[in-house]
Amino acid sequence: MVDKIKVENLNCYYNKQCVLESLNINIAQNEILSIIGPANSGKTTFLRALNRMNDLDANYSRKGKIYLDDDNIFYMNMENLRRRIGMLFAMPIPLPMSIYENIVYAPKRLGLISNKSEQDVIVEQALKDVSLWDEVKGRLNSSAMKISGGQQQRLCIARILAINPEVILFDEPCSGLDPISTAKVEESIIELKRKYTIVLVTNNVKQASRVSDKTAFFLMGKLIEIDKTGKLFVSPQEKQTEDYITGRFG
Amino acid sequence: MKKIINTIIETIIFICGILSIVFVVLIFGFLFKEGFAFFKDYNVIKFIMGQFWYPDSNPALFGILPIVIGSILVTFGACLIVVPIGIMDALYISEIAPKGIRDVLKSSVELMAAIPSVVIGFVGMVTLVPFVKNLFDIPTGLTAFSGSITLAFMAMPTIVTISEDAIRSVPWQYKEGALALGATKWQTIRRIVLKTARPGIIAAVMLGIGRVVGETMAVMMITGNSAHIPNSIFEPVRTMTATIAAEMGETVRGDMHYKALFAIGLVLFVITFIVNFIADLFLGKNKNK
Repeated sequence: MVDKIKVENLNCYYNKQCVLESLNINIAQNEILSIIGPANSGKTTFLRALNRMNDLDANYSRKGKIYLDDDNIFYMNMENLRRRIGMLFAMPIPLPMSIYENIVYAPKRLGLISNKSEQDVIVEQALKDVSLWDEVKGRLNSSAMKISGGQQQRLCIARILAINPEVILFDEPCSGLDPISTAKVEESIIELKRKYTIVLVTNNVKQASRVSDKTAFFLMGKLIEIDKTGKLFVSPQEKQTEDYITGRFG
Repeated sequence: MKKIINTIIETIIFICGILSIVFVVLIFGFLFKEGFAFFKDYNVIKFIMGQFWYPDSNPALFGILPIVIGSILVTFGACLIVVPIGIMDALYISEIAPKGIRDVLKSSVELMAAIPSVVIGFVGMVTLVPFVKNLFDIPTGLTAFSGSITLAFMAMPTIVTISEDAIRSVPWQYKEGALALGATKWQTIRRIVLKTARPGIIAAVMLGIGRVVGETMAVMMITGNSAHIPNSIFEPVRTMTATIAAEMGETVRGDMHYKALFAIGLVLFVITFIVNFIADLFLGKNKNK
């Protein structure tokens, strides 16, 4: 399979303190890579390095290279990069506007759509892709703040789909959700695999084993082990990985 | 024993708590009493629509239209100047400025609020007034325009600090969410930050206007105090506040002129009350979200 993202020798620092050290990871096209590890292991820093959200923080600095296809993302236009690499945050954060506007917000800004009928098509398609259409189709113009947490999170996914990215980053997308909403979001993630490359940071080891093709284990800013999910969970090579996934620490 | 102490303390706190309401009601009541006494002897319509303010002529004319227009003109001009500058200043401080500059800017804006209005008026009189006179080549620099500039300067701290609070209370997740969707910084500010902070910004503007309408000392020193209906902003005007302040000393307690000034106070009170009420409406809306 083709590698969609290549990370070469990435080092990340906050206030000169190293939080991610000599990281090398390749992520294949249409693969779900999940990243597990205890708190402070650098999972989220890694994720936010991929769409350069970290770069917004003045205390952050980095070394190394990240390639999307064959382009170094650090030379790319930031807005363009974030259009190609969408990101879903831990807490569902609908923008303070209606459900409909939430979805058309980004495509409009980016000039991807011009008229109302195109907008309607995009909204319907995006909501169907996250199986939210049937639940909200009667109240597209009501505030996105009024739907449930799980629905909000799926709306946020739909919002990303509307700009048709190539990669989607999930930052603990189910941490604030109940089990049923979690199952629905996980279903959406697996469904999305057919079209997108996915990186999923999760605190839930079981979620990683349920959803992903490959799993990487981070500890204290270092990549300890990365392997096919089936293999990593059955016969981890490293002692630390085994301890973590069996719940002996973390 | 404990119960008695408790009751005493509760009573004291209760009295302190309602003091502000008591004061407002008392002031309002006094204004009403003196103001309405005036309307018994002088027609309300003649008072509000009258074009001449000649309290010393015979018969005395108490038409406040010129000074109402003066107040509105000066206030409106000040708003035109201060609202865009104030909001953009707040945006710069909260969204764009690096931390060092932000701290300096914030404390200097707050320091601005501490300058007594008579000092601002004095500085304006010595510097701004001759400047305006020479710049536009007009007979006097004591004009509505100069007053507007001075008042803009005075309303600035209110508008900047309150809108900055509003802008800063926009959850950073909204900004992050928009940026992660590929929006540029400016798009994020315009569509997300300004939109979310709008009620707070409107409240800031309203409170700024309240400050401008009620300001007395600086306008008295700078606007020229001529109670006629101006043809342009480059003419001297007189505001309602300046009229009260300047003439209260000349009146005899209880005569028509004295009561007329209270009636002006009443009009002024109603105006600022409405402005503050609108501001509260927007501030409340902001909190409910």
